[in-house]
Amino acid sequence: MTTRRLQQVQPPPTDSAEEIFDGAFDVVVPSPGRWEGKVSLADGRTVSFLAQRDGRQVHVWIAGESYVFSPPTPVARSQRAGQAASDDIVCPVPGVVIAVHVAADDVVEAGQDLVIIESMKTEQIVKSPRQGTVQRVSVQEGDRVGRGMRLVVLVPLSEE
Amino acid sequence: MGMFFKILVANRGEIAVRVLQTLQAMGIATVAVYSDPDANAPHAVLADEAYPLGGSTAEETYLDRGKIIELALKCGAEAVHPGYGFLAENPAFSRECAAAGLVFIGPSPEIIELLGDKIRSKDAAVGAGVPVVPSSPMWLPGDSPPDALVADIGLPLLVKAAAGGGGRGMRIVEQAGDLAQALESASREASSAFGDGRVFLERYIPAARHVEFQVLADSSGNTLHLLERECSVQRRYQKVIEETPSPALNDELRQSIAASAVAMAQSAGYTNAGTVEFLVDAQTGEYYFLEMNARIQVEHPITEETLKLDMVEWQTRIAAGELITFSQDDIQSAGHALECRIYAEDPFSNFAPSVGRLLAWRPPSGMGIRLDSGVTEGQEITAYYDSMLAKLVAWGQDRQSAIGRMLRALESFPVLGVTTNIPFLLRALAHPEFVGGDYDTGFIANHPDLTATPNSSQFQAAAAQIAEGFWQANGSNTARRETEAVKDTQGPFPGPWEGLAKSVFP
Repeated sequence: MTTRRLQQVQPPPTDSAEEIFDGAFDVVVPSPGRWEGKVSLADGRTVSFLAQRDGRQVHVWIAGESYVFSPPTPVARSQRAGQAASDDIVCPVPGVVIAVHVAADDVVEAGQDLVIIESMKTEQIVKSPRQGTVQRVSVQEGDRVGRGMRLVVLVPLSEE
Repeated sequence: MGMFFKILVANRGEIAVRVLQTLQAMGIATVAVYSDPDANAPHAVLADEAYPLGGSTAEETYLDRGKIIELALKCGAEAVHPGYGFLAENPAFSRECAAAGLVFIGPSPEIIELLGDKIRSKDAAVGAGVPVVPSSPMWLPGDSPPDALVADIGLPLLVKAAAGGGGRGMRIVEQAGDLAQALESASREASSAFGDGRVFLERYIPAARHVEFQVLADSSGNTLHLLERECSVQRRYQKVIEETPSPALNDELRQSIAASAVAMAQSAGYTNAGTVEFLVDAQTGEYYFLEMNARIQVEHPITEETLKLDMVEWQTRIAAGELITFSQDDIQSAGHALECRIYAEDPFSNFAPSVGRLLAWRPPSGMGIRLDSGVTEGQEITAYYDSMLAKLVAWGQDRQSAIGRMLRALESFPVLGVTTNIPFLLRALAHPEFVGGDYDTGFIANHPDLTATPNSSQFQAAAAQIAEGFWQANGSNTARRETEAVKDTQGPFPGPWEGLAKSVFP
């Protein structure tokens, strides 16, 4: 397989050199939207796998590990491209906003608390990743939020 | 009083299923209650009768005492089993049950109140001659931060909630400057989880082991201990892996802590099943009472597996007025048992909770393997409730055999659609410190390799290739057609990024 149409979504890919898979896999039970099978690894071991589609994602379980792949979408592409310079502070978990500690025009330090999310009965504190000026707060107390939703727009400190 | 005819289980998830199974085996008619998102959840399906609580949040469903009691009376239940969490340690609920003529399966409201107040329960421990960790009086929002007490207690210290457990409302404070914020945040979390925002400070004992003893007491005052559970593998002060026997105890220390646990329960006048938690310094053999939990504990199955005894059955029999039919000498542990909690969370991003639809959920089986599960394939996992999906328990004739069975079971447990901590559990169980039995409550924090994003591996490379092949055969065209169709109807097939929020909060 030379051309890659899919990219790994979960776990987030690391920068480590990509391993080459030079074993083989057999689909033992092919059903619509789901494959079950065996993978023969180069070292002679055989492990099971299960692959399943959910919308535009492919979920693959293999020997206790789970991966999610998806074709690059316009959303994912722009997020990827804009990652380094992105001003958006996004929500790390799904849940409810229980406190907003900043307002527009506030200057924040790296590590300062921005927003607190309650998810699955646990508080998650979203801290500022860097120094900056809050341009906009996109949520308020009581809002339900999803993973990846924008919470705060943080711009670099102005030069004045 | 004879055995109950019908019991309502006021809980959800794996513990509701666990309790219902035992009650059904005892020939007791069962009633479940459920929230809107749980309408098709396993506990609601399993019970003989199931009634909606109406609503989604915990507050408007499983914490609504009035609704639950009203349903219990309406369906003719004689008793209520609260499970753990929710109303299990709520003295008002226990009182209201009694006032309505329902038996609350657990200790009396007075005991729940005493043990639920971490300060009063510590005083009770001191009275029973049990060593305790130094702590402060209660703090509530609006009180000034108890800075003066920091010197007495020392740093680092823990901020803990007066009520509840499960690590909620708990913060570690390393610097005095962080205290005020930790108090506010812990109090808010405790208030949301338990309806009680009181918190206090406690000395933090690093490199300690968390060991607890199960106790069982009947109405005649007969109080036994059912040996210990080692619960030192924790993240966010919440247990992840438990085992019994504890590798940290020798017989002498075991007997000594067990005697303290029984003394604590007896001095409190405890009835039914309870758990006395201790911090143990394995080097010095010193131990300290932490708290006593007046309910069935999440990790009770490992005790059941090594003692071949059904804790829920005994809770029910004791609540019906029966006396314990065995003696302390009969309590002889056989083999070794481990429990792994399967959480819907991402172990590689700080254990952040994850939600979604369980596309695949295929529990392992085999000798010595038990799964206490509250979920089923196809179920939507929401952010409304706790992230624990199930508990995988392995029994073996010795520790090594139990670990081997657990590893095999975790490796053959396909879960898709919701990120779980299974990859973390596999790493933790294989870690030399865990294998050697020489770990403490700092185990996860001290080993960042346990939670590091996995590097490219041959499994990952194989998964990528399978995904490509699968996408060609099943994916691209069909997916495109569906995506087009969905655009018109705003149906449930989300894009990979945005969709999560939508499917959780429709």
